[in-house]
Amino acid sequence: MDAAESLRLAVRSIRGHKLRAALTALGIVIGIAAVITFVTLGASVKAEVVGQFDDSPANRVFLVATPSDDGGPPAALSQPVFTEHDVSRIGEIEGVDRVVPRGTIATSALTHGGETVARDQVTATTPALFESVTFREGDAFADAGSGAACPAEMVVTPSAAALFPGNLSVGDQVSITQRGNRTRNVTVVGVLGDDAGLNPLAGFGSQPRFYLPTCAYDTVVTSPTTGTRQNVFPQVTVVAANPGDTAAVQDRVQDYLEAESDATQLAPGSYEVSARTNEDIVERIENVVDRLTQFVTGIAVISLLVGAIGIANIMLVSVRERTKEIGIMKAVGATNRDVLQLFLVEALLLGVGGALLGVPIGVAGGWVAVTYAELPLTLPLVWVGAAIGIGLVVGVVSGLYPAWSAARVDPIDALRYE
Amino acid sequence: MTGDVASAEQPAVELDAVSRTYTRGEPVYALDDVSLTLARGSYTAVMGPSGSGKSTLLNLVGCLDTPTAGTVSVAGEDVTALSAGQRARVRGQEVGFVFQTFNLMPRLTAEENAALPLVFQGAARAERTERARDLLDRVGLGDRTDHRPSELSGGQRQRVAIARALVTDPAIVLADEPTGNVDTETGERIMALLDDLHAAGNTILLVTHQRSIADRAERIVRLRDGEIEGIDAVDPTGAA
Ligand SMILES: Nc1ncnc2c1ncn2[C@@H]1O[C@H](COP(=O)(O)OP(=O)(O)OP(=O)(O)O)[C@@H](O)[C@H]1O
Ligand SMILES: [Mg+2]
Repeated sequence: MDAAESLRLAVRSIRGHKLRAALTALGIVIGIAAVITFVTLGASVKAEVVGQFDDSPANRVFLVATPSDDGGPPAALSQPVFTEHDVSRIGEIEGVDRVVPRGTIATSALTHGGETVARDQVTATTPALFESVTFREGDAFADAGSGAACPAEMVVTPSAAALFPGNLSVGDQVSITQRGNRTRNVTVVGVLGDDAGLNPLAGFGSQPRFYLPTCAYDTVVTSPTTGTRQNVFPQVTVVAANPGDTAAVQDRVQDYLEAESDATQLAPGSYEVSARTNEDIVERIENVVDRLTQFVTGIAVISLLVGAIGIANIMLVSVRERTKEIGIMKAVGATNRDVLQLFLVEALLLGVGGALLGVPIGVAGGWVAVTYAELPLTLPLVWVGAAIGIGLVVGVVSGLYPAWSAARVDPIDALRYE
Repeated sequence: MTGDVASAEQPAVELDAVSRTYTRGEPVYALDDVSLTLARGSYTAVMGPSGSGKSTLLNLVGCLDTPTAGTVSVAGEDVTALSAGQRARVRGQEVGFVFQTFNLMPRLTAEENAALPLVFQGAARAERTERARDLLDRVGLGDRTDHRPSELSGGQRQRVAIARALVTDPAIVLADEPTGNVDTETGERIMALLDDLHAAGNTILLVTHQRSIADRAERIVRLRDGEIEGIDAVDPTGAA
C-alpha cells in the first residue's frame, strides 16, 4: 500500500471520530503551544538583556560583588563594597581612563509642579558616567569635587522626564523625598538623548532613571584601609582608555581587588568581588536566562508528554474498536506492514496536526507574554520548525505500540470480533 | 496465474489430512482429518448442518485460519508453511472470499469497499475505481457506488462483498452462503455470476444450505461433525 493511500484512509478514520481526534490532538496543541510560549518568552528576555550589554562599548569592565556560586543572580543584586578609596586607587591603575561608581539612594517620591510620582530609588553617580553620552537637552551635573558644596542638580532619562506632565526639562525644580522624610530640592540640568545602554548592570533598559551626584549618596562605611568614613558603592564601571586593552585592564583591576581593596575586605563571606567585561556578563546572564527557560520549557514538555500518552491511549482504544475492520483488511490482503502503516500514519497525523495548531497558539501566547513584560518579541524560528518535528516524533512514538498491536491482530479472530 | 506446464497440472486447492481443533475445555473438532482436492476450474458445493465445519474449511483455504494438523495447498503452494506476509499475498491475490456475514468496512462507500483489495495490491487509483465500478455494475449495484454499507439492504451488501471478492480477478472464489441473506431474484443473479466465473475457468468453492443452489455445482461435499460424510457428483443434465 502506498503512503498516499494510507494517508487517505487515516484521514478517513480521523474524520469518522472528529471530536475524539480533536480532543486527542488538543494534548499536543497545548504541549506545543506551551513550549513555544515559554521558549519565545525566554528568547525575548535573553535578546533584550543581552542586547543592552551589546549596546555598551567594549572598553568597559564592571565591578560587582555577587554571591560566589557560579552564574548566580544578575549584577543588580550587587552589594555595596567599593569605597571611594577603591574608586580613586582603581583610577590610578595603568590603562584606566575613568572610573564611574554607582549607588542607589532610597526615596519615596519625587515632586514637580504639584505632581508627585512614587519612586523607590534614584541613582547616585559621577559626571564621568555621561562622557560620550548625548544629551537631548542641557548637560551633566558638576563634579562634586572634594570640599565644594554639593551641587543640587539632577540628570534624567527621557522616560523619567515623561513621568511628569509636560515632561521635565532643564531648569525645572524637583523635590525628592528620601527615606526618613528628608527632602532634597534639585534642579534638572540635563535630559539624556535616549534610555538605553547607560546602566546595563541594573536590569531592563527603558526604566525611568534619575541621576544625582555622588555627594547626595548616603551609604557610608569605614574604609578598612584608610580608617575614614567613606561612601561605598555597589557597582563600579571601569572604562579602559583603549578598547584593545580591556582584558589587560580587567586583569589588573582584578589583581588590585584581590590584593588590597576595601571591597574584598568588606564583602560578606559568601560574596565574591569581581571585575567582568561585557562578554563575561553576557555569558552569565545568558546562562541564567537559559536555565530559567529550560526549567519552564521542561514543565511544558511534560504537558507534551501527557499529550503523547493521550494519543497512545486513544489509538489503543481505536485499535480495539476497529479490530473487525483490521480483520477485514487483512482478509482482503492487507499485510501486517500495511496495518502498521495505517495506524502509524493516523497517530502521526494527530501529532503533526496538533503541532501545526499549537505553533500559532504558542506564538500568540509568546507574543502576549512578551507584550505583557514590555519586551520586544524575538521569535525562536528554529523552535517553530522543531515543534512540527516534535509533533511528528510524538505521533510516531505514541502510535508505535498501538499500531504494532493492530498489525498483530489475527484475521480470523478479528473477523469474529463483535 | 503463472502459466508453466507443471503448475497447470496442479490442483487449485488440496487439503491433506487437515484437522482444526479448538481446545476450550472440551476439545472441539471443527474439522477432523479432512482430505479434499479441488481441480483447477472445478465448481464444488459444501453442504452440512450448522456447526459441521463448512466455514472452518473455507477459512483454511482462504488462509484466514491455520490447521492444527495436515497441510493446505493453494495453487500448488503449501500455505501452512508460509510467513504472515506471504499468506497476506495469497489472501489478496489468489483467492476471493465472500463471507457469510459480508464483512464490509462501515465507513467506506460501496465502491471503496469493492476496491479495497486492490489498495493493498498497490493498484493505481484510476484502475481501482474502474475495476470496482465494473464489478458493482455486474452485480447490479452500478447506481449505489456512493452508498455506505449502512445505507444498503442486506442483499445489496452481499453483492458489494461479492464485487470485492472478484475485484482482484482471483483464480479461486470462496463463497460462504452468498445467497443466504438475499431474495430469490438476487440469489439467482449471484448464482448466475458464479456460473459465469465457472465458465471463465475460475475454481469455485461454495457453501450453501440449499440443495437447489448446490445442484448448480459439479459436485457436492457433505460435511458432518467436521468430517466428510460423502462427495456426490451432480448430474449436469438434471441440474440444468
Ligand atoms: N473460535 C472458535 N472456538 C471454538 N470453537 C469454534 C470456534 N470457531 C468455530 N468453532 C466450532 O467449530 C465448529 C465448526 O464451525 P463452523 O463455523 O465451521 O460451522 P459451519 O458449518 O460454518 O456452521 P454454519 O452453517 O452455522 O455457518 C462449530 O462447532 C463451532 O462451534
Ligand atoms: Mg458457517
